[in-house]
Amino acid sequence: MGFQLILDGEEHDVAIVRRRPHLVLRIDGIQHEFSEIGGPGDGLHALKCGKHPIDFIRASDNERQIIRLGGRTFEVDLTDPFSEGMESGGNMDAVRSPMPGTVVSIQCKEGDTVVRGTPLVTIESMKLQTVLSAMREGTVAEILRAEGETFEKDAIIVMLEPETEKA
Amino acid sequence: MSDPLFNKVLVANRGEIACRIMRTLTDMGISTVAIHHAAESKARHVQMADKAVEICGETPVAAHLDMGQIIEIARKLEVDAIHPGYGFLSENANFAAAVAEAGMTFIGPDAETIALMGDKISARNFAEKHNVAVAPSVMPTDDLEDFIEKAADIGYPLLIKAAAGGGGKGMSIVREAGALVEAARIASSEAQRYFGDGRVYAETFVDHPRHIEVQILGDGKGGAIHLFERECSVQRRFQKIIEEAPAANLSSELRDEICTSATRLAAAAHYKNAGTVEYILGADGRFFFLEMNTRLQVEHPVTEMITGIDLVRAQIEIAAGKGLPLPQSEVRTSGHAIECRICAENPEQDFMPETGVVRHLGVPEAEWLRFENALTHGQKITADFDPMLAKLVAHGPDRDAAIERSIAALGELALLGVKTNIDYLARLINHDAFRTAELHTGFIAQHRDDLAPKALNETERAQILAAAFLGFRQTRDLIVGTPEPHAAIGGWRN
Repeated sequence: MGFQLILDGEEHDVAIVRRRPHLVLRIDGIQHEFSEIGGPGDGLHALKCGKHPIDFIRASDNERQIIRLGGRTFEVDLTDPFSEGMESGGNMDAVRSPMPGTVVSIQCKEGDTVVRGTPLVTIESMKLQTVLSAMREGTVAEILRAEGETFEKDAIIVMLEPETEKA
Repeated sequence: MSDPLFNKVLVANRGEIACRIMRTLTDMGISTVAIHHAAESKARHVQMADKAVEICGETPVAAHLDMGQIIEIARKLEVDAIHPGYGFLSENANFAAAVAEAGMTFIGPDAETIALMGDKISARNFAEKHNVAVAPSVMPTDDLEDFIEKAADIGYPLLIKAAAGGGGKGMSIVREAGALVEAARIASSEAQRYFGDGRVYAETFVDHPRHIEVQILGDGKGGAIHLFERECSVQRRFQKIIEEAPAANLSSELRDEICTSATRLAAAAHYKNAGTVEYILGADGRFFFLEMNTRLQVEHPVTEMITGIDLVRAQIEIAAGKGLPLPQSEVRTSGHAIECRICAENPEQDFMPETGVVRHLGVPEAEWLRFENALTHGQKITADFDPMLAKLVAHGPDRDAAIERSIAALGELALLGVKTNIDYLARLINHDAFRTAELHTGFIAQHRDDLAPKALNETERAQILAAAFLGFRQTRDLIVGTPEPHAAIGGWRN
């Protein structure tokens, strides 16, 4: 059975090939055998990949696994095969805030035609100002926050009209 | 044992610095009072204090800036003194005055000194008058055209900053005449917005400057000593990221000249408290006064580690009228110390602030290591406060050893659940140019590409994916077969 994991924004295929006597996973087409798989849950664990022992720390954060391995930290998500359709086109319509903050000023109005990179709103978080720009060309459908309003991380600030199929 | 210098001290701060101050207060037998907003009622500084009082405000930060409320709490609890930490009210002359008026001791300089050093212009004039070198400059004026004309006369590059500013807000560098007008206009409008004072100021910009600062202690009667210098050249947007003591590759003559100049300034101001005199140092050995911080500095632990002097204790003793802890001739240093500021931010996305929940905290321990923090498991990291979460400070017999130890400690440190700059800091300290101390305030911009994370190879990627795959309940259950008993008895391998 295969799964898609997302690491650094890229999808990777992981499938269970065998469970006994040792776990074998096919990761991006290559088989890896694990003679030790470590305990469940968060904390310090050890893996044995082939003959190589690997220590790592794992913490789960909702649906995400955070792995600290070799002095580096990574976030890994498991994709839900049923929500696949939403991912690609849907996201480009919504201009989201990458961090929590406050709207400082709005540089567009509903109905405006924008191109990729057109500044839409200026936001401020922890005294740093950032301009949110359009990620594609299109038309501003709705501005969801007014100047001075606060918002959480990933909140939608501006919506563009959905892209119509090009003939 | 003799009586403590104060019976009860309120710490008007939060986070790691409140914890750090309370540690020394407790050591000195002084009872501690913490203040906190409702959003941080389970915070470490609240748990550490002998008494904790909730403060209200429209935002948590506003609560911590509410002087009247804080002084009222202190009065009610019969507090003897208030320690302001850094940030918040620490450099607010009105607060220092109000604490004194309420009959309590402000652990810091008097209000006049804070006001003198808090304004860039008056501080600069004072420094100049006492033979502390200042960079050629244009005094601020409301007349922007006059300002632009005079600024052009100094020549380029030129640094423009807000007269009332701090922390890099409203600063810009102008490299050619054509860019001056626009830069002055923007700086003035930013100054107005951030500080409510649109006056701007310009001075000669030193290319490839190093940020060198001197830790001083003053007794308030004209007596002052220095505890040598720190280098804080590794900065981003004028915010320090890595600090060390002593500064590398500084001739003993130059070190002496800079440190003596700082002591001279502190003595002339009849400075009372720990303070920091900041300079920029050019490649040609010229150094100019930047500003004086009239408080405990974020990076004070590096000085403590090389001198063995507890700066918070010194502040308290000075405030209690005990004078300086030791004469200049007895100040010695040993080895080298490096501090890394751990922040909730994403270095791969232009250092955007991050939020999250502390899901795992693993801190290495060693006698040469200090991890200054107030983190607790399950703690929410929000945008309510500054993104700095902790400081990792490593000491070694020399700079190379301190570097190796810092890299090892950063590698071992695990703070999961919020993105941080920990891995970035390790790459930075491991960079050849850092190791050879080719430091200047543009270091991070200059080496930006080198400081990006290395791409993973196939094996590394497979290990990470497997580690995660074994963590998701959905996939782990498939592997283990019988779902939960293993988790319940706590181990697969046993």
